[in-house]
Amino acid sequence: MDADKKSGIRQFKGKQVKLYKQISIEIEKEIQIHPNYADLHNQFGLLLMVEGDSEGAESHFLEALSLNSKYREANLNLGFLYIEMKRWKEAEDIFLSEGRRYPKDGFLHHTLGVLYFQTERQKEALVHIRKAIQCHPYYRDYYRKRGVWHRGKVHLDQKRERVFKKIHLNYHYAQFHNFIGLYLAKKGKSIQAVRELKKAAKLKPDEFLFHANLGTVYYYQGAYRKAIQEYKKALEIDPLFGMGYANLSYTYGLINRTREALRYMERAVRLNPHYADLHYNLALLYSDRKRYEKAISELKKALRINSNYLFARINLGVLYEEQKKWNKARREYRKILEITPDNEDVRRRLERIS
Amino acid sequence: MLREDFVIQTNIRRILIRSNIDYSEITFGTVRGVVYIQGTFKVSGISTDGGSRDTEDIVTKTLRSLELKIRGIPGVVDVKFQLLNWKKEKGQWMPTKKVE
Repeated sequence: MDADKKSGIRQFKGKQVKLYKQISIEIEKEIQIHPNYADLHNQFGLLLMVEGDSEGAESHFLEALSLNSKYREANLNLGFLYIEMKRWKEAEDIFLSEGRRYPKDGFLHHTLGVLYFQTERQKEALVHIRKAIQCHPYYRDYYRKRGVWHRGKVHLDQKRERVFKKIHLNYHYAQFHNFIGLYLAKKGKSIQAVRELKKAAKLKPDEFLFHANLGTVYYYQGAYRKAIQEYKKALEIDPLFGMGYANLSYTYGLINRTREALRYMERAVRLNPHYADLHYNLALLYSDRKRYEKAISELKKALRINSNYLFARINLGVLYEEQKKWNKARREYRKILEITPDNEDVRRRLERIS
Repeated sequence: MLREDFVIQTNIRRILIRSNIDYSEITFGTVRGVVYIQGTFKVSGISTDGGSRDTEDIVTKTLRSLELKIRGIPGVVDVKFQLLNWKKEKGQWMPTKKVE
């Protein structure tokens, strides 16, 4: 989609317009039921922005931010809206403050570069374009392909400048398609969801979330190899995306590739050490490979995080039992019965070893 | 027979995700092929005012289907439901209190 050719919802085809309008009506109804959901206001703002209703979009982004002042996505959407409305100062304030919070986000530098070009502040624009290139190789390639970056310098003739000034719209449309994709996925329309999420990822290929979402929709569809591919793309972009490793691990589990599942679950746990469920899953993987000491250690970690994690305690009891550590096994079973006295299965296990 | 608890666990996760079950209040674990399902059982989109015959039928069917699917996972030797709002007695599912 060339963002510079047409603007707003006019660029979409008949079927798409119908779908987006229908979603817009549904979100509006949901807002009436849940007026204090920041997410809904942000989503509705996005839809209104695509429909070309800038004032309406602004009021919903502002509402989302008044409900949650740290809502980054709503803040960025508002910033892009201000660029569209040529309210440069307000846009600049938003992107500068976001840039201070996320100095390594290439897209923020790119956007600031665009903004300064628009306002004839060439020197500041060049500084940010260079920063964008330093942040991620994607930007160098992107500028090079469009002839904007050549031999270490920015080159902008009239035609390139026009294209360049509209590149930032990709972010906005990418967010839009991502939202529509997730909405459709929630409704069980996974084929359409994949189509939308692919559009999002094409418009902003360096956004890990779009690939992660695409991975999740493929996972829902049962297309596990495609899910793995997308999760891996997400992790290439953001290697600290802990849940991405967990999702990869679950997906490998489904195709019985437990060696890879173990490797990725270990990484997920390293990045999310306070998530009991991940320790539990890692314990299962160790236990399946007969690495019992490690399994016990992970189950204990899960229980330190959540002492009422019953399955972790049952697994621990069973592992102790198998190792003939009767006292320890009994202790775990008794603790379970303290929490759930009606647990007949555990009572029987306890009676068997008492 | 394959009996890897992690693989069973990922299959249960997939079954729940792809079903009409509202699994927000469900937890599950696997111990040597024995699957435990705990929590409050709900079906997405079913009215929460509860207790009607139709609602009970839908939940009962969903529970039966879930149990069958889980038992169909290679390596599963038993499924133990420890639900707060439904119990199985003499092979029949029945609510222990109003369906929430």
